[in-house]
Amino acid sequence: MNDAATLEKPSGDVTQLPRAKRPVRTVELPESIIEVVSDSGEGAQRCGQSLGSVAAKSGNGVWTVEIIPAEIQPPARSVAGASGNRVRIGSRPVTNGGDEADLVVAFNEQVLLGRVRAGELKPGCIILLESMWRNDRNPSVVASYVATRDKLLEAGYRVYEIPMEQECRKLVSDPRRGKNMFVLGMLCSIYSLDLELAREQIAITFGKKDQKVIEANIGLLEAGWHWADANLDFRYWIPPAHVAQPQLVVNGNTALALGVLASGMEICAMYPITPATSVSHYLSDVFERVGGLVHQAEDEIAACAFAVGASYAGKCTATVTSGPGYSLKQEAIGLAVMAEIPMVVINVQRGGPSTGQPTKGEQGDLLTAIYGSHGDAPKVVMAASSIEDCFYSVITARKIAETFNMVVVLLSDANLATGQQPFPRPKFSEGWLAPPIDQSAVAEGSKPYDWDRVTGLARRFMPGQPHGMHTLTGLAHDRDSHVAYDPLSNEEGLRHRSLKLAALQKTLRPLQVFGDGSGDLLVIGWGSTKGAIEEAVARLRADGLKVSSLHLQFLQPMAPGLKEIMQRFRKVMTVESNWSDDPSDEIVDAENRRYSALAMMLRARTLIDVDCWTEVRARPIKPGIIAEALRAKLQE
Amino acid sequence: MINVPTGRDGPGGGRELQTMQMNVDLEAQTVDPLVFYLTGKRPATGPDALVGQRPALLAGYADLTRLRYDFPLVLIEGKTDGAPVRSLSSVVDNLLQKIAPPGMESEQLRKMILRLEREIRALAAAGASGRLSELWDEAAARLEKSDQTFGKSVRIARAALEIDGTVLDCRADMATGFIAHLWSAVQADKAQKFRVTASRLAVRLADILRADHLRSAAGRNAESLMAAIGLAHQALFDFAALAKVLPKSSPGEALSDSRRRRIESALAVLNGQRFFAPAPGQARPEGAAEPYSFHFDNCADAIAAYRARLPELAELLKAMAIAELEVDGAYVEGKHDVVFAGFDAGSLSPRDLALFPDYLVTIREGGTSLDHAMLMDALSSDLSLKVVLQVGDLAAEAPAGNGHASGLRGTQLATLAVALGEAFVLQSVSSNLYQLRERVLRGLSFAGSALFSVFSGVAAQQTSLPLYLSAAAAMQSRAFPAFSYDPSAGRDMASRFSLENNQQPEADWPVQVFEYADPEMQRISQQAVFTFVDFLVCDPRYHGHFVAVPRGFQAERMVPAAEWVGRPSADASGSVPYVLTAGSDNVLARAIVDDRAIGAARRCLERWRRLQEAGGIRDSHAERLIEREKKIWEEQKRQELASSTTAAAPIPAIALPAAATQAEPAAATAQRSPDEAYIETERCSTCNECTQINDRMFAYNGNKQAYIADIRAGSYGQLVEAAESCQLGIIHPGKPIDQAEPGLDDLIKRAEPFL
Amino acid sequence: MTLEVTNCLLRMYEEHHNLEDYQGGVPRWCTGCGDNAILTAMQRLCRDNDLRPEKTVFVSGIGCSSRLPHYMRTYGFHGIHGRALPVAEGIKMARPDLHVFVNTGDGDCCSIGAGHWIHGIRYNMNMTMVLHDNHVYGLTKKQVSPTSPRGLKSNTTPRGAYLEALNPLTVTLGVQNVSFVAQAVDWIPEALYDVLSMAFRHRGFSFVRVIQRCPEFLPNMFDPWLQNPQKTLLLTHERGLHVSANMAKVYNNRKEHDPLDLDRAREVASAEDPIPVGLLYQNPAVPCYEDLRRSGQLRTADYVRAGLEAEFDKFTVWPAEQERSKPAA
Repeated sequence: MNDAATLEKPSGDVTQLPRAKRPVRTVELPESIIEVVSDSGEGAQRCGQSLGSVAAKSGNGVWTVEIIPAEIQPPARSVAGASGNRVRIGSRPVTNGGDEADLVVAFNEQVLLGRVRAGELKPGCIILLESMWRNDRNPSVVASYVATRDKLLEAGYRVYEIPMEQECRKLVSDPRRGKNMFVLGMLCSIYSLDLELAREQIAITFGKKDQKVIEANIGLLEAGWHWADANLDFRYWIPPAHVAQPQLVVNGNTALALGVLASGMEICAMYPITPATSVSHYLSDVFERVGGLVHQAEDEIAACAFAVGASYAGKCTATVTSGPGYSLKQEAIGLAVMAEIPMVVINVQRGGPSTGQPTKGEQGDLLTAIYGSHGDAPKVVMAASSIEDCFYSVITARKIAETFNMVVVLLSDANLATGQQPFPRPKFSEGWLAPPIDQSAVAEGSKPYDWDRVTGLARRFMPGQPHGMHTLTGLAHDRDSHVAYDPLSNEEGLRHRSLKLAALQKTLRPLQVFGDGSGDLLVIGWGSTKGAIEEAVARLRADGLKVSSLHLQFLQPMAPGLKEIMQRFRKVMTVESNWSDDPSDEIVDAENRRYSALAMMLRARTLIDVDCWTEVRARPIKPGIIAEALRAKLQE
Repeated sequence: MINVPTGRDGPGGGRELQTMQMNVDLEAQTVDPLVFYLTGKRPATGPDALVGQRPALLAGYADLTRLRYDFPLVLIEGKTDGAPVRSLSSVVDNLLQKIAPPGMESEQLRKMILRLEREIRALAAAGASGRLSELWDEAAARLEKSDQTFGKSVRIARAALEIDGTVLDCRADMATGFIAHLWSAVQADKAQKFRVTASRLAVRLADILRADHLRSAAGRNAESLMAAIGLAHQALFDFAALAKVLPKSSPGEALSDSRRRRIESALAVLNGQRFFAPAPGQARPEGAAEPYSFHFDNCADAIAAYRARLPELAELLKAMAIAELEVDGAYVEGKHDVVFAGFDAGSLSPRDLALFPDYLVTIREGGTSLDHAMLMDALSSDLSLKVVLQVGDLAAEAPAGNGHASGLRGTQLATLAVALGEAFVLQSVSSNLYQLRERVLRGLSFAGSALFSVFSGVAAQQTSLPLYLSAAAAMQSRAFPAFSYDPSAGRDMASRFSLENNQQPEADWPVQVFEYADPEMQRISQQAVFTFVDFLVCDPRYHGHFVAVPRGFQAERMVPAAEWVGRPSADASGSVPYVLTAGSDNVLARAIVDDRAIGAARRCLERWRRLQEAGGIRDSHAERLIEREKKIWEEQKRQELASSTTAAAPIPAIALPAAATQAEPAAATAQRSPDEAYIETERCSTCNECTQINDRMFAYNGNKQAYIADIRAGSYGQLVEAAESCQLGIIHPGKPIDQAEPGLDDLIKRAEPFL
Repeated sequence: MTLEVTNCLLRMYEEHHNLEDYQGGVPRWCTGCGDNAILTAMQRLCRDNDLRPEKTVFVSGIGCSSRLPHYMRTYGFHGIHGRALPVAEGIKMARPDLHVFVNTGDGDCCSIGAGHWIHGIRYNMNMTMVLHDNHVYGLTKKQVSPTSPRGLKSNTTPRGAYLEALNPLTVTLGVQNVSFVAQAVDWIPEALYDVLSMAFRHRGFSFVRVIQRCPEFLPNMFDPWLQNPQKTLLLTHERGLHVSANMAKVYNNRKEHDPLDLDRAREVASAEDPIPVGLLYQNPAVPCYEDLRRSGQLRTADYVRAGLEAEFDKFTVWPAEQERSKPAA
């Protein structure tokens, strides 16, 4: 379908474009990282997501990362205002956002600059730049555009100036809105993706709108495709991975929400907070269709207390929040721990402390999750390490919570929240669902906290169960739930609540090492960094280095056999996205150095000299950077 | 005139039809009217005087399809919005409301749709049957042939037409179709209610079992634990170890075998029940047999089926009752086992029975399926049978014979049923049924049996009239009046029995204004009544009872039949009764009526008057009753007035139980001697002050309020101390009992403020 | 729908309770404490309505008042300071079949829990809340509370409280969706009981403020009211408080007040002397949050599966029929 005839030739002064188009050779690539950036509201994000879906449908491995400006409506053409998407397409499954971009589409040169300064562009990579600014009425705009373009050319980037708006105006009155689909068309052409799949995708994205909108966008899509096909002198082909079964393409927050549905929980109490809120947005829309409901409480504390009450009287309940909200919930969480009420607390971590970085990911809440709430408040702590994991973790968390009558804290983070990655469509099992509310009579005289001396487990009495009447209390209490005025029963309670963690630990399997079971360096991580860490390790191993990695699903308790594995390596270090002092800092020494959260836990638990490497740059850690850090560690 | 509900338009073309040439100069046989009247004898030869004649009052209704009246009806399918049956005209009116609101611009559309309506009516009258959509399209197609512009506007209307359903005209079997449809609407409603309850119970019972399973060892073994974890996480756990850990926490008590069996069998019964079909679009639970049918064509089978299914019904109700107790945790074996052990058909209350389907029996009067004894038996029994009795013909005699009409069995059956007293009874002619739809529904929802006796008009081959008119005439002439008897409407006849819907129920015969033109073409307007005799005119089989007026017979010797019927029968002062008829040429004629016909009319009138009595029209009993009641009432009033002047208005009684009990001591505490020691118990706020001082002397009653339990259990000193410490000051120490108590004088002084 | 059979059976064997059936542990309140009167009234309420102990939950926060659940033999939830309401709301939402009572104090409700109080009124969930208002923090040994009268000397206001006291009645009556507001005093047990009964029967959020004595820290604060019945104003109405002959003898300062009249209710509420006792406001028409939110839908496994699969379908990409191959150059 190479009929460039219908399209007018590109304006002559675009120097980077070939005069007469010669046949283009399609280059095969193992993978490619594409970024589409614009002012927010110009639809670069939708463009990127659509590209991701099309690639996924085509059988490629995909990972998409949202590029989000902090403000909702930053000024147009501002360096800080870059909004869009990073799409990593591979011929094998992709587990993270990867390193620098291979190709960037920018709607203006300012947002592009933002990405350049952030070091997100691969040297000499391709830049497709909207050329309209060259003819802008405002001379300063023209100046800055030309200057930037020339700087980039100097720096060796392959800049292609493209009259996107001009081309779109041929089809629609308001090209600013339609541009993103034009770009999608170009990218489909560049990466030899099936245009038909893109058409379907548009039909899905605009499904709720009327046919006209869909047709208009498909028109733009095809225009972009034809334009690129006619005018660009490069084209790529990323062979698809061979996927047999249907894949689910959702972001981490949607996956969490789907997990809530699948776990049979019926109530989710929340208070709006970024980046957790989108979980509740989606839930609010669909939960009632499976008989559940989302309660937006008057504040974070109320949300948690509401969840505690609902869990106490009914099925296990979830509350979803982020850093600041998580801090506010601590007292109520402590109550649930003390009273042994099952509850799932989902914390989509963001940069902290205080308000920190609402839209950016960080792994800063691990210790709060484990030790949060005053006194000894043992809870189970899990961390999701992928989009798929977000889904399954909720189901697991619900089951553990109700089996052990414990609070389960599930940690996700902003990177997972907005990242997209296809995973096999789950097969529903009835066993996932929370058990019905047990109203059977309990034997007269049985105690509400009849702790098992070995495991600390006790049966849970629910309102409605005859002979189970007792007054649950946040005060120290004995087996009858009577306020414990004597020191011994206080100790007994603490002991049994703690034992439950040991009991759970006994039911966990030892971890699988990624790589060999022994070697020079063992890297340990948790949460969203899994993909990047394993990719880095794989690269080093490809270079013949004896590096392996471990990834922890459970942070509290930790899987058995951890120490034994660590001892089989010469060096052990963690890679995390939270703060740790840099040993090279002048006044930092072995004695006063503050280690990263996991490193600290591991050192304390195993008495092994675990080192750590961390980065807190409000972006997903790149495998390349990790690889360098590991190399450095090996050379120490 | 005739009780034809005619929409807004009135009898189409009725006007010109009702003014007619008057022509008494009939070519007539030589017959002595007097003799004919007395004997009914007439020359064997000679033309029938009434060929093609119909009662003059019916002359206006030549072509019904030109009238916008109730028929045909649409039996609405699916969502009925509480109106399961609508008349075609109301359907069209709603449609016009929507798409062609009154106004010039939509006038054209209105016209066309009304035209279409008439076409559909014509189709139905011509015997076409089918759903509204089908007839609609057929009619539209026809009209489009003649007028191209038709297509578009009608398509608009068709699109806006949301409802559909079978079109039912006033045919011979109209009653069956009509009532059967309403019946299924009622049943659908019951089914809906039942399904909601049953599925709720089933799910809750299943929950009890599942909860028990999850507590059991089987529910906690490695496999079930693994099933609870998503595939991608199963590698994280050692489920065998998890299974080992769990039972250590006391799993709670397993269901007792008896309870499990009870729940399982209740569940099985709920799922296997055959009285209600599963919700539309839902599959039957496996193992469940075909749902029962409840529509029969004779009482015997219906009763047999009912009896046969009764035990199963009892089982189902038992299961539901058990389920309701179980899901509420309220089943106590010690108490309830006995009850349910003996639970059988006898334990079913009417209210519970009413939750289940009613049996519909549709029979034709005169048909073999009608067994009077069986019918009466059914109507007087406790079961809930809805019987539709179609009376096809009011004629008892063979048309050939020359006897008079008698033995109107249809009416007898209904009045008989009323006498039984327990069943709901509704009598009506088919033409009137739509007007009575609310009553029909009430009868169908009546907890018990119901009889719907409907006369659907004399079949076309016997009369020139369309069924609708024939039926209407039967009601009009009191030959087959409408009445209903609803035992659930109240205790007395007055509230149960209704003559609703008969025209001028207080009159013997309904009176109308009748207009025609005399030979000078002057409009003449006179009062005319429609009597049983007129009804006979409708039916050629009775024409033998009429003869044309011979030439020269003086008009003044003729008396209108209605008037004649009213006279004592002996009176034959040389004059004869006549009835006004009109032929298809719309020329008025008089016909002389014989005495047998008059006799039949008299009997009909007596039956009507009995009904009037029952319906409370000139009801002697009622009048006496009212008189007595009035006296009593006045007496009461007098007394009330007297009493209210003496005693002040009493304090309103108190609703709250506890408060009520507290009302009494008022008198008790009223006068108490200051020497007596006591506590104003009902004012005590349970502050423990006095019981702390001496909990044998002071104790709490059932409401945890203090009283002096044993005054000798402590000293007067303690009594005074308590009085002082009571913040409410409701403890009164009275005088000391033990005079020997030390420091008494001082105590008495301290006690004074509390006496 | 409940079958007549079932009703008969239930009626046949209705178990009748006595006060002891609802008595839990021995109260640890001071002698003369008004909480005792409230506890007694509560137990009478349970008994007279034959509430099934296992179907009844008393939820409380922290403070003297909040110990009440320990003294009931029902289910109890003695939670954390100020959060009784959200906990109770969670319970009611998960289990509409339970009778939920909330016991809270002037510190618990009007200070640390004020936010939840306001929103609890808005949710209007079907439960009864009793504000034990003794005008002072007792458990923590005499600190000033939001309802302490101005000038009250306490351990945190040795020179007397600086601020005007908050009026819980006017506050409650000022919130949208308010559906039931009544007031009682611990020293008129009959009125207290009647008010609680009305509150229990009201379908919606019933707010009952009980003015109570604290003999330990404010021993004489209410003496004038105890000694002079004229300082208590009984609000009577056919749909409100009915005064028994006995009560009428002592308290003859009465006034007819229509509980549907919100404006008058606000006036009455702002008068502090004499203390109004009875039903100030009741509007049965306000919808309950749990009714608005809970879908009556039965949550069978199949139902959840269907819903979930439907969602999966939205996000599923199905593998392409035929494998894509590299396009010719």
